[in-house]
Amino acid sequence: MISRMLTLASFVSAVFFPWPLTAVLALAAARAEPLVPLAAGIFADTLYYAPSSGGLPLFALGGAAATFGALFLRSRLRAATGGV
Amino acid sequence: MRRTLSPRRNALLSSADLSWGAWALAAALFLFFVRILAPDLFFRAAEPLFKSADALSERSKAFFSSFGDAGRLALENEALLLENAALRLENEAAEKNIRARAALGAQGNGIVASVVARPPESPYDALLLSRGAEDGVSVGMRVFALSSGGAREEEKRGGVPVGTISSVTDRFSRALLFSAPGVSTYGWIGTENIPVTLLGQGGGAMRATLPRSVPVSVGDVVYAPGPEALPLGRVARIDEDASSPSLTLHVASLANLFSATWVMLRDLGGAPAPEPVTSQPARL
Repeated sequence: MISRMLTLASFVSAVFFPWPLTAVLALAAARAEPLVPLAAGIFADTLYYAPSSGGLPLFALGGAAATFGALFLRSRLRAATGGV
Repeated sequence: MRRTLSPRRNALLSSADLSWGAWALAAALFLFFVRILAPDLFFRAAEPLFKSADALSERSKAFFSSFGDAGRLALENEALLLENAALRLENEAAEKNIRARAALGAQGNGIVASVVARPPESPYDALLLSRGAEDGVSVGMRVFALSSGGAREEEKRGGVPVGTISSVTDRFSRALLFSAPGVSTYGWIGTENIPVTLLGQGGGAMRATLPRSVPVSVGDVVYAPGPEALPLGRVARIDEDASSPSLTLHVASLANLFSATWVMLRDLGGAPAPEPVTSQPARL
């Protein structure tokens, strides 16, 4: 339930609140839903990224890094606890 | 003891369904492809969201500012009430003027467009505007900031240049600001018209490097290229290192990009446009 709320909250935050709050919510949701940071990053860049600026889609890249880190940690924890 | 993997531990699958994270990723990718394939439809749908985010931001600022010293706030309140009455009249007249010009579309002076999304909502230092190709907007047009109330000296002369149109769809356009990271803009500085290259730093800030021997000081005005000598910023700070032969100037825009609600678009003909560091096909 909490992970679902955090997932929704990170998407809502991407529209209504500054990006640091969105990042915190996405990282909090990543514990149970590792794909949320990537999804929130892609959503934020879909709203705001300007390809003509010549810059990189920072939110998507940051979300991908956070998702990768969450998945890696998750696999390490599962290995450490024997898959329980 | 036999251990089994619980499907709930799977990042993609939860029980027999996809996890919320997978659904969220699918939704984000769907919206991404909608933006790529039908940008007009996407931004038309997103415009109410941006406007409501604006309104929420304004109300939260008013709410948090109320947590100040009560006595000081009472005095400020009284002074502001008096100022507000005078500004309201001026504001109404200016708003009426701007709406009349917006309703008429393309003008000899330019095209008035409302800002749909701006920094910090748009952290890439770009403005999403409500006018597109149907209204005569084209890539390369210069963007000038307007305010809905009060007219400072720069605005009386035609506005503060803040960027150029970088991409256009039928009903929307995107303006890349001079302060966008990676954008370089040529201009000149001060009364001696010293040529300078401004580099965008993001967040409305620009930077330039000049030789130490150049006579420049804090407060000097920086002008944009083009047929009109319009100031676009002021030198806010100068960093100098005794071991370096150059000075680093930090330039702040004269316009408050974080509260821009209306802009004017004008085609300046052969005025050189800012250049991004990497060239990419223009997409909104």
